[in-house]
Amino acid sequence: MSTPAPSIPPAAGAPAAAAPPTDPNVVNVEVNGVAIKARKGQMIIEVTDQHDVYVPRFCYHPKLSIAANCRMCLVEVEKAPKPLPACATPIAEGMKIFTKSKRAISAQKATMEFLLINHPLDCPICDQGGECELQDLAMGFGRGVSRYTERKRIVKDKNLGPLVSTDMTRCIYCTRCVRFGQEIAGIQELGTTFRSDSSEIGTFIEKSVDHELSGNIIDLCPVGALNNKPFRYNARAWEMVAKPIVSPHDCAGSNLYAHVLRGKLRRIVPRDNEAINEAWIADRDRFGCYGVYSNDRLQQPRIKRDGQWLEVSWQDALVATVAALKTATKSGGDQLGTLISPSATIEEQYLLARITRHLGSNNIDHRLRQRDFRDQVSDPVAPLLGCSIADIDTRQGILVVGSNLRMEVPIVAHRVRKAARKGASVAFLNPAEYEYHFKTAAYVTAGDALVANLGAVLAAAAAAAGRQLPQHLAQATSGVNVTDAHRAAATAISRKPGLVLLGQIAQRHPQYADLRALAGGLAELTGAALGYLSEGANAAGATLAGALPHRGVGGKDVQRAGLDAQSMLSNPRKAYILFGIEPSKDLANGNAALSALRAASVVCFTPFVTDELLDVADILLPTATFAETAGTFVNAEGLWQSFDAVADLPGEARPGWRVLRVLGNELELTACDYRTPSDVAAALEHELGTAKDLEPGTTVYRGSFAPGAGAVGAALAELDVPIYAIDAVVRRSAALQATALAQGGLRGGV
Amino acid sequence: MQNLVKTFLMTELFGGLRITFKRLFTKKITVQYPEEKTPQSPRFRGLHALRRYPNGQERCIACKLCEAVCPALAITIESTVGPDGTRRTSRYDIDLFKCIYCGFCEEACPVDAIVETRIHEYHMEARGENIMTKDKLLAIGDKYEAMIAADKSADASYR
Amino acid sequence: MAARPTNQVCFETLQFGKESYSLENYRKIGGYEVWQKVLRGELTRDAIIDEVKKAGIRGRGGAGFPTGVKMSFMPRTAPMQKYLVCNSDESEPGTCHDRDILRYNPHALVEGLALESYAIGATVAYNYIRGEFMAEPIPRFENALKEAYAAGLLGKNIQGSGIDQDIYTFVGAGAYICGEETALLESLEGKQGKPRFKPPFPAAFGLYGAPTTINNTQSVASIPTILRKGAQWFADLGVKGSGGMAIFSMSGHVEKPGNYELQLGIPFPELLEIAGGVRGGRKLKAVIPGGSSCPVVPAEKMMTLTMDFDTVRAAGSGLGTCATIVMDETTCMVKTLRRLARFYHAESCGQCTPCREGTGWLHRVLTRIIDGKGAKADIDMLVDVANKIEGHTICALGDAAAWPVQSFIKHFRHEFEYMVENKGRSVVDDLPQVAA
Repeated sequence: MSTPAPSIPPAAGAPAAAAPPTDPNVVNVEVNGVAIKARKGQMIIEVTDQHDVYVPRFCYHPKLSIAANCRMCLVEVEKAPKPLPACATPIAEGMKIFTKSKRAISAQKATMEFLLINHPLDCPICDQGGECELQDLAMGFGRGVSRYTERKRIVKDKNLGPLVSTDMTRCIYCTRCVRFGQEIAGIQELGTTFRSDSSEIGTFIEKSVDHELSGNIIDLCPVGALNNKPFRYNARAWEMVAKPIVSPHDCAGSNLYAHVLRGKLRRIVPRDNEAINEAWIADRDRFGCYGVYSNDRLQQPRIKRDGQWLEVSWQDALVATVAALKTATKSGGDQLGTLISPSATIEEQYLLARITRHLGSNNIDHRLRQRDFRDQVSDPVAPLLGCSIADIDTRQGILVVGSNLRMEVPIVAHRVRKAARKGASVAFLNPAEYEYHFKTAAYVTAGDALVANLGAVLAAAAAAAGRQLPQHLAQATSGVNVTDAHRAAATAISRKPGLVLLGQIAQRHPQYADLRALAGGLAELTGAALGYLSEGANAAGATLAGALPHRGVGGKDVQRAGLDAQSMLSNPRKAYILFGIEPSKDLANGNAALSALRAASVVCFTPFVTDELLDVADILLPTATFAETAGTFVNAEGLWQSFDAVADLPGEARPGWRVLRVLGNELELTACDYRTPSDVAAALEHELGTAKDLEPGTTVYRGSFAPGAGAVGAALAELDVPIYAIDAVVRRSAALQATALAQGGLRGGV
Repeated sequence: MQNLVKTFLMTELFGGLRITFKRLFTKKITVQYPEEKTPQSPRFRGLHALRRYPNGQERCIACKLCEAVCPALAITIESTVGPDGTRRTSRYDIDLFKCIYCGFCEEACPVDAIVETRIHEYHMEARGENIMTKDKLLAIGDKYEAMIAADKSADASYR
Repeated sequence: MAARPTNQVCFETLQFGKESYSLENYRKIGGYEVWQKVLRGELTRDAIIDEVKKAGIRGRGGAGFPTGVKMSFMPRTAPMQKYLVCNSDESEPGTCHDRDILRYNPHALVEGLALESYAIGATVAYNYIRGEFMAEPIPRFENALKEAYAAGLLGKNIQGSGIDQDIYTFVGAGAYICGEETALLESLEGKQGKPRFKPPFPAAFGLYGAPTTINNTQSVASIPTILRKGAQWFADLGVKGSGGMAIFSMSGHVEKPGNYELQLGIPFPELLEIAGGVRGGRKLKAVIPGGSSCPVVPAEKMMTLTMDFDTVRAAGSGLGTCATIVMDETTCMVKTLRRLARFYHAESCGQCTPCREGTGWLHRVLTRIIDGKGAKADIDMLVDVANKIEGHTICALGDAAAWPVQSFIKHFRHEFEYMVENKGRSVVDDLPQVAA
C-alpha cells in the first residue's frame, strides 16, 4: 500500500479554532473518546475499520451493498435511543460513537446468542472451523453455555453443483451470497425463501450455481454453510500454509493464495489486490488447481526406442534430447520448430527462445491458437489491455470485438460490468449471442461476418464524426450495410475515455489481421485505447521474452523471421520442441498438426502424459505445473508478478526452467549458469532494459494493413474455446469438468 | 570430644539400624513386578487407542484438534469424505517416540475417540513400529473397549 | 349521557344502508366536491397540506405520526416521478377498520388518494390491499375505481385541468410484515416483503427509488371529509393531540364486537359500553388498546383512561391502530401471550437476527410452559429475550413481538408462575365460578 509522503504536521500548540475554513467533506466524530476526522457520507464501520477499532460484523462486506440484517455491529451512539448498526449508520458531525460500551457489548452479545441458538455448533466437522467468523466472534461475545433448550431448526442442504458444498443448517442469513449474485455476478442464483426462522437460502428452483465467479460465495460466507466442495474435509485452515501465487489461467493475473499442507496444494483462495482482482477470483483459478493431481502426471522421463517407451533417468533423457536436436539441426536450424504454451513462465519462455535461436532456428511461437499472422509485423511490443485493469471501471465507452468475455477473462468481464453499472456504454461485436448481466449499449451478432460488421461500425463511427478514413481502411468500410446496431456501437465507443478490446475469438479468427486493422482504425478515429485479451497467463511475457518467430527479446526484430505456429506445422520440420502443450487441444487446427508431429522427432516438456503425446512424441520430459515451479507472469497490464513454487513435484518431475537450463548447458549455450529463476528473470530484465516497463500506450495500432472483404469461415466452436478447456490443468480438474459450463449448453454464460 | 564419643558408641549406626529392624517385622510394600502390579488410576495415560461407537462406527471425525493440540507434534492426520459422506480420517498416525503422553489429545477430542489406555507394557522390535497407525489404534480400542469404557465412566463425574 | 356523535368521517355513507359504497351515495354526502375544487384550480397543494396539518389527524396505521407533517416531508419540487402508496395491508390482529372502509366507503379512499397525491405532487397512487380481502373489499374498491374513472374523476388531464391522476390496486400475498411501509414498498416492487433499513426514508428513497409517501387507509380516507368540513371541525371532534374521529375495532370479550367510528378521547368505559360491555357480564381483566403489538393494560388502569394517543401512551401502552382487544376474567394470559408469540414467530420476515431467532424462541418457551415443562427461570428468560429483541431490529416487528411479552409478564407474572408451579395448569382453570 502506498502512502503519500508525510506532510509537515501543524505547529504544536496552534489553536484549533484558527484552522483554515473546514472542509465540507470532513466530519468530526469521536470513537470511544478519540477524536477522528472522517469523510462525509462514510458509515460508522468504515471509519472504525480505518482507525483499527474493530466492530464485529457478519453481513457487512466492503464490496457488497449494506444489508444491516445481522445486527452484530450494533454500537452505541450518543443521543440515539437505541443501539445503531455501524454498517448502516452514516456519520454525522459531532457524533460520539462507543463501540465497547456496556450497551454496545450487551447488544452484540444478544445478537450472538440469537445467532447461536439455531446454529448446529458442529465446528469439529465443519470445514470452516478455524477460519469461521462466527466461531471467532463467539469466542468474544458468546456464552459458555446456551440458555436455549428447545429444539434446534434444521435446514435441508441444497445441491449447488460440483463446486460449492452446502450445510445450510449452519447458515446465519447474512445474505452476502445473495447480494454477491445480485451485485457482482449480475445474476441472482441464490435467494432467501420462506419467512421467519424457516427462512432458507437456496436456489429458487432446483439448479446449480453456474456463474463463472460463483466460487467467491465460499469466501463470502462467514460460516460453514457454503464451502469448497472439491476441498471438502481435506484439511484444516490452521494447518495449511498460505503461499502467494498468480493465476496461471488467464491474462488478468489474479492474485491467489495457494494453501499447502505437507507439500500438497489443497486449495486456492483469492489474495486481495484492488488493482487487479479486488477480492474475487474466477472459478477457473479456484478449482482449476485440482487438475494438478490428475492421475496422468508424468513421473519419470521417457524415451521412445524402436517404438517402445522406456522410463529413463534424466541423464539419459537429456543426452537423447541433445542428440535429437543436434541431428535435426545439423543441416540448418531451420528444421527445428518450437511451440511453447502462453501460460509458461517468462523464464521458461526466455530460456527456450534462447535455446531455439542457439540451435539456429527462429521457428518459435507461443501464439498457438492464432490462425492469421499476415500482419504480425504490426503487433505491439506486448498484447496489453490498453489501460490498466482497474482503469476499465472508469471507461465510458467500451467496444468488445470477438470475445466471449466472461469465459475468456472473467475478472476483466467483471470490470467491464462494473463500468457498465457506473454508466459506461458497453457494446459487443461477437459471432454469437453471449449473456451479459448488464444493459449493453449495442450487441452486434455478426455470425461469420465479423470483419464486415466491424467495418460497418467503423463506417458508422466515421460518418458520425464526419471524418475521412485512411486509405487502407477504405475498401473494408465502403459498401457495408450499416444498421442501427452498428451506429449504437459506434456511439458507445465514441464516448471518452474509450476502450476497444480485441478478444480471443478475434485473435483466433482466420481474418485476425483485418479485424485488428479495423479495430485499430476505430480506436484511432474515436480516440479510444486498443486493448488485447491475450491467451494464457503470460502471453505478454512470451512476447517480451522473444518467444516469437519474428521478434527477439523486447520486440526487437530478428534478421530473418522464422515460421509462425501455423506455418511450422503446415511445413513439416524434422524436429519439434513442445513445451506444456497438448497438440490437438492447444493448437489451432490441432488434429492436422498431429500428422506433422508424428513424422518428426518431437521433444515434449510436459507435466502430463497422454495417449496422444505417447503417439507423436519421442522424448517426454516431466516438468512442473504452475504450482510446482517458481517463475514470473506478465499480465495484461504489463505487470511482472513473480511467485515461488508451492507444492512438491511428483516423482522425478522438475521445474521447466531448470530442465531448460541444464539442456542449455548440454547444448553449450553460453551464459546459461542460472541458479534460480530470479537469475533468469534478472538476465532477461537486463537484456530488456527500459523495454521492461510497458506503457499501456504501446498497444496503439500503427500498421497499415488493408483489410479485404473476403470472408474466410471458421467454425465458432473452434474459435470459442470453452472456459474449462483452456489449458491442460483446467481440463484435468474433475470439479470444473462436472460443471454446467463445461458440460455444454451454457457456453455463452448463465 | 562429643564427636569422639559418638564415633565410639556408634549411636548413629544403631539409630539407622533401628529403622531396618522395625521394617523387618512390618508388612512388605515391595511389589513383585511383573507378577504383582501397582494399582492404576482410571486416568492413567498409557498406550493410545481409537474407539468405536457400539454400532461399530468409528468415533473419530477427523476434526484434527488432537493434532493441533499435540505439543510434541506426534499426531498426523489426513481427512477425507468417508464412504457415507461423513468426515473421516484416511490416515491417523501417532509416533510413540515423539509422544510425551500428556493426554492433551484425549482432552481435546470432542467425541472421545482418541483415548490413552492403561496399557503401559509394550515394546517395539522393528524400525517403524513406533508409528501407531489407524488400524493398530482401532484394534487396541476394540480389544480394550470394556476397560476404556469403565475408566471413562469412572472419571465422568469429575469432568 | 348525551349520545356521542358517530360515523362522521369515514363511515358517513353508512347512513345509506346497503348501497353505502356506491358513487351515487358518496356524492350525496358531498363526495368528490373537494376533488372538483382541486380540478377547478381552487385549492392549492399547500392549502391542502396546511389544512390536514391543522386538523391534527394522526396516522391510523399504528405509529400515530401526524399525517399532515408526513405529507410535508415530500420533496415536492424534485423533478422525478413521486408516488403515493396507501397501506391497506391491514393485518394487525384485532384491527379491521380498513377492511370496512374498503367495503362500505371505498370512494372516500379514492378521493383521499387523489387529493393527497395531488398535494404531494405525485401523479400515481398505489393501493396495496391485503390478499385476504379478496372476497368483498378488493372488488368494492376496484369497482369504485372503475366508477371514478368512468365519471371522469381520474385519468390523464382530468376534465381538462391538466392534472394527471392514476390509482392502481395492488393485491398483497398476505404477509403481516408487508404492512411495514418499507416492506410494503419492496413487495410492491415485486421483491420479497422485507423491510429496508432506514435511513434513507421513503420520502427520499421509496418506491423504485423515488420519493414516496405511505399512509394508512383510514388516514387517507379521512382527508376528503377534513377538507370538506374544515380542519377546525375535525380537530374539535377529538382532543388536543388527537384530532378527529377514529374507527375503534372492538374485539374480544364484548357483547357487540365491531367497528365503531367515535371521537378520539372517548373514555374507555364509555367505549366499552357502546360495544355492549364485557361478554356475559363478566369482570374485565385486561385490554390491549391498540392492536396486538401494543403492551397490555390491566383492567383497573384501563377503566381510567380516555382513548387518545397521548393518554394511552402515558399509561405505558399505545393507541396504535385503535383496535381494542378486550379480555375478561376467564382469559388465561399465558395462553393469550403464546398465541400472540406464535403470530409474531410466523410473521417475522426472517431478515434480521434478533427477530428471526428471538420470536421463535419466545414462542417455543411459552409453548413449553403451557405444556407444563416450564421453570421459574424461564419467565425471567422470556423477559430477557424480549429485551434483547426490542430496539435491535431493522423494523418495528421486533418491538411488536417484544412488547406483549414484557407487558404480559409485568402485569400478570403471577399467572405465569402459577402455571409453572402447577405443571401447565392455568389460573383460570381454578377460578371458582368457572369451575362451578
